[in-house]
Amino acid sequence: MSLIVAAFGFGLVSMSIIAISAVGFTMQFGITNMINLAYGQVMIASAYAAYAVNNAGVSIWLALPVGAVFGAVFSFLLNRLIYAPFQRKGTNLIGMVIISLAVSLVIANVMLPIVGYYSVSYHQNPGTTYHLGSIALTGAQLAIIAVAVVVMLAIYALLRFTRLGKAMRATAANPTLARNCGIPTARVVDLAWLITGALCGVAGTVAGMNSDSFSVASGSEFLIPIIAASILGGAGSPYGAMIGAVLIGEMTEISAAIISPEYKQVVAFAVLVLVMVLRPQGLLAKRGALAAAG
Amino acid sequence: MSAKRPDPLLRAEGITAGYGGVPVIQDVSLSVGPGEIVAIIGPNGAGKSTLLKALVGILRVTSGRIMLGDQEVTNRRPEELARRGVGYVPQVQDIFEPMTVLENLEMGGYLLPAATIRARVPEVVEVFPALKPMLKRRADKLSGGERKMLAIARVLMLDPKVLILDEPTANLAPQLADKLLREQVNGLGALGKAVLLVEQRARAALEIAAYTSVLVSGSIRMEGQPGELLDRQDFEELFLGAATSLSSASSSEANKV
Repeated sequence: MSLIVAAFGFGLVSMSIIAISAVGFTMQFGITNMINLAYGQVMIASAYAAYAVNNAGVSIWLALPVGAVFGAVFSFLLNRLIYAPFQRKGTNLIGMVIISLAVSLVIANVMLPIVGYYSVSYHQNPGTTYHLGSIALTGAQLAIIAVAVVVMLAIYALLRFTRLGKAMRATAANPTLARNCGIPTARVVDLAWLITGALCGVAGTVAGMNSDSFSVASGSEFLIPIIAASILGGAGSPYGAMIGAVLIGEMTEISAAIISPEYKQVVAFAVLVLVMVLRPQGLLAKRGALAAAG
Repeated sequence: MSAKRPDPLLRAEGITAGYGGVPVIQDVSLSVGPGEIVAIIGPNGAGKSTLLKALVGILRVTSGRIMLGDQEVTNRRPEELARRGVGYVPQVQDIFEPMTVLENLEMGGYLLPAATIRARVPEVVEVFPALKPMLKRRADKLSGGERKMLAIARVLMLDPKVLILDEPTANLAPQLADKLLREQVNGLGALGKAVLLVEQRARAALEIAAYTSVLVSGSIRMEGQPGELLDRQDFEELFLGAATSLSSASSSEANKV
């Protein structure tokens, strides 16, 4: 029993990382109608950007914003240079998914000769370990949970209270009508890629912090729970993605304690398949899920 | 004797537009001035909505030009036309359904400073008092009539000079449709707006319009003041077929033309 409680504690960290990344992933879909399978690879590229700074002697916490900025700029450029031109030509959703898969492979294969095949890990001090019953979390893990809480609150505030957030929701709901209202949807989409890219960068860096090590191959491992959480919550719904992250984060960690850590990804996939069968629209999804996120 | 029309605020000069290189409207000219309601009527498939989409920059105009005042605005982007004072209410998908009524109004006033939006909302709600108690309600929970009021109210947030309405009474009960046209749409003309109205309810449209164009198969076949048109024998024949009356028009009958 204590093992499961301890796993629940690790689940809090996993759900935090998945939440940050899944919210970014699902917002990209909600606003730009783009299922970006290169998301995991951008996460890992951002993690390496933070690693480069960290490896030069800078604290990983100071390197975290570097990962965020890298993810933001990388995602923005991906959209501007690759995705948007295809979308303008009328490439359909499935076509865009295949293009993003190709982009993912290109990023991975371009990164390999630059960063190498071997795993790396951040130079970090995990800090004091805090205990609550059988739950044991390091200071760094608690800080990751705090980062996730701050990010979730910031996303809520953005979508609920700000002009930009409401314009994002309007663009997600009805882009043509948004343009008729005078909303510069192209700029809104650019900003959406920057913001979701920053989330991707933060998620990649904290995922690297929570791992013993990471490599180029970690990108695809990151992607599975992200997609599972996004679909579980309802594609395009940021609040749904948060709930999906809680469920996937806890289920994968607890299943690791009960079955084996090697089956984490299997559990995430099994949950994904189960949801697709029982409730294909996800837990919170309805039409315009992102637009309803007020 | 014909009443003098105001100087045009929005003017289409021989415009042609369509989808995928196939023209749907050809060489269409029309205009609307301040305080004037101009109705565009015609059978289903005549190209009325296509014409409006071309006017508001959603569809590309392949020939001809569109003037707003003395400035050419042909193929300007919708957001730029909104900034220049052209408001558009599409026939369908006319509101942001998952957002609240208040948020819809805020998006309608997106180009205004935040303080001006806050001041403008009560002014617009005064035009549609029925919206006042439902500002926090999600727009997809509104009835058909409330929804149309919100769509027009949203456009009024920017206080546009030109209002382009695509079948505002579509899917409304007949009594509600008449009320919307006679009270709300007619009231927009009284506010000094130049109103371009596409309407299937031809009789009601003719009652409130100062000028009417009949669009058939993508071309303006007839135009004039409503009284002049109603006096013409060929008007009903052209639009509806001689055996039917205007008020009982159905789209299937209209398609006989």
